[in-house]
Amino acid sequence: MYGTLDISTSGMIAQRTRLTAISANLANQNSVMPDGTPYRARRVMFSPGDPGASDPDGREMGSHVSGIEIDQSPFNLRWDPGNPRAIKEGAEAGYVRMSNVNPLVEQINAMQASRAYEANAAAAETTKTMLAQALRLIA
Amino acid sequence: MTDASGAVTAGRSSDEGQEHMADPLGFINSTARDRMLRGPGSTAGGGGALGDGVAAGSTSAHSFKDVLRASVDEVNRAQQEATRAVEDLAGGERTDLEGVVLATQKADNAFRMLQALRNKVVEAYDEIKQMRV
Repeated sequence: MYGTLDISTSGMIAQRTRLTAISANLANQNSVMPDGTPYRARRVMFSPGDPGASDPDGREMGSHVSGIEIDQSPFNLRWDPGNPRAIKEGAEAGYVRMSNVNPLVEQINAMQASRAYEANAAAAETTKTMLAQALRLIA
Repeated sequence: MTDASGAVTAGRSSDEGQEHMADPLGFINSTARDRMLRGPGSTAGGGGALGDGVAAGSTSAHSFKDVLRASVDEVNRAQQEATRAVEDLAGGERTDLEGVVLATQKADNAFRMLQALRNKVVEAYDEIKQMRV
């Protein structure tokens, strides 16, 4: 009976996790990892099924975060010869390796996650209205 | 007596004919309806009818009690789950606001549903109590 609510909740939790990763990417776009390499963007991966749900429908048809993977696309380069971390020799001499976070892409992803969260909340709201209507039928 | 039972049998057979017409796949033709239809026809004498009625009443009362107990237990479990979820959220043991909202919502709805059913049952009881015999 509460399967639909479980499914919507699992979707909301998944989208919130995605927004967390997007916030981390935006916050760390100028960060350097402890080993000296620039930060790489994090990508949240979703899978169908929610093992934590209490309802069998929710377990089967919900969604969950299957893992957070690291974006392996090449780093951005910025011309900054005076920087102590600038590349000393080769074709890329004088450039500094920056993280591969693209703020524009992250912003679009954030909008998408926010809209998906909204859609799940709307689905939960509709389920609630349906249950309330069933209740009105009894009472 | 015989006249009445004859009328009942006649009514039953015509009813069955209608059922075959309206419900060819047997979706509506439930066992409860069968029992209801068969009940008056099977009672041969007055004493038998009374005995049957008492027996049926006692078995259904027993199962009703079980059903009520099971639903109250279920609602209680949902309430406790919601309370624990809110406490955990306040205490910082869990951070998924959505899960807490879900648990609260489930408990609220289950309680309202049980309350509605209870009101309905009490209403029916009042109706029977005020019936003139």
